[in-house]
Amino acid sequence: MSNAYLDLLAYFGIGGAHPGGFNLTQTILEDENIQLSESVLDVGCGTGQTSAFLAKRFNCQVTAIDKHPIMIEKAVERFKNNPASVKVVEGDAECLNFEDDSFDFIIAESVIVFTDIEKTLHELARVMKSNGRIILLEMTAEKNLSKELQRTVCNLYGIKEILSEEEWRVKLQQAGFTRIEIIDTPSELSPSEVDDINQSDNIKKELFDLLEEHNELITHYRHFIGYRAFKCYF
Amino acid sequence: MSIYNQCCNHHGKIVRITCHDGRVHVGRITRVERDMVWIQPNRGLGGFGLGFFGDGFGFGGFRTGFGTGFGIALGAIAGIALVSAFFW
Repeated sequence: MSNAYLDLLAYFGIGGAHPGGFNLTQTILEDENIQLSESVLDVGCGTGQTSAFLAKRFNCQVTAIDKHPIMIEKAVERFKNNPASVKVVEGDAECLNFEDDSFDFIIAESVIVFTDIEKTLHELARVMKSNGRIILLEMTAEKNLSKELQRTVCNLYGIKEILSEEEWRVKLQQAGFTRIEIIDTPSELSPSEVDDINQSDNIKKELFDLLEEHNELITHYRHFIGYRAFKCYF
Repeated sequence: MSIYNQCCNHHGKIVRITCHDGRVHVGRITRVERDMVWIQPNRGLGGFGLGFFGDGFGFGGFRTGFGTGFGIALGAIAGIALVSAFFW
């Protein structure tokens, strides 16, 4: 199923396109004690900015997957001069082509909300090792959203539902995670520094229009829709 | 780095340009000349309400053009930076 908003991010090739941007990614990951021997999955890697950071900072084994062929193309391009550092794979978070218990550490930055949330959480739980941990950074409703706003947001971003913090907790528990922590971040949507761009040529006008619509929505409703950074263990 | 070089570096990207008079413009750089940078406003990552884009007529140091947006005299520019934006 195609998603115009993800096309937008892919064709503009914007790195760190998630709440808090790459700055937040770095802040969160600096506190992680990832060992050289550990296997790491960056699910919904986009153009690979976070994967590049993980590989460089921790020297760990990073696998980067994304469903969007343009994202994959740009991630491959990022690592072409350093192919050993990150393994880039085209794949679907809802149906991962990895063995059970494959990864020590998983990170998903504003990814799961664009999928069938339950399916993806179960898949991530399946491929995570029993002593592993996962960090999710996902869109979260800050208050009760009107039906109309829900519909608008879901249509604009091609998503099925906007979960509250409590609803995320329930779904995470259902997927098998027992310890769920919230990483202390400003929950309100904060700006991403747009300084990692690999823009495609000839971007369709529709995508510029969509970007306008997205900007409009953010301007008006950013107090209603925030995000949470969850850290979960079995 | 000179404003000219910065404009060249950001060619094709979406930037926020602050002028000496305090006016702020957001748009994609479509062309860089020795004394002028052309940006395509009101599209792309713009629309944060940072400035009035208008059509450029009547603004000192501005020129309008078809397809390339409008031009800002390099001498009028105090700073240029890639934009911050909100994304999911």
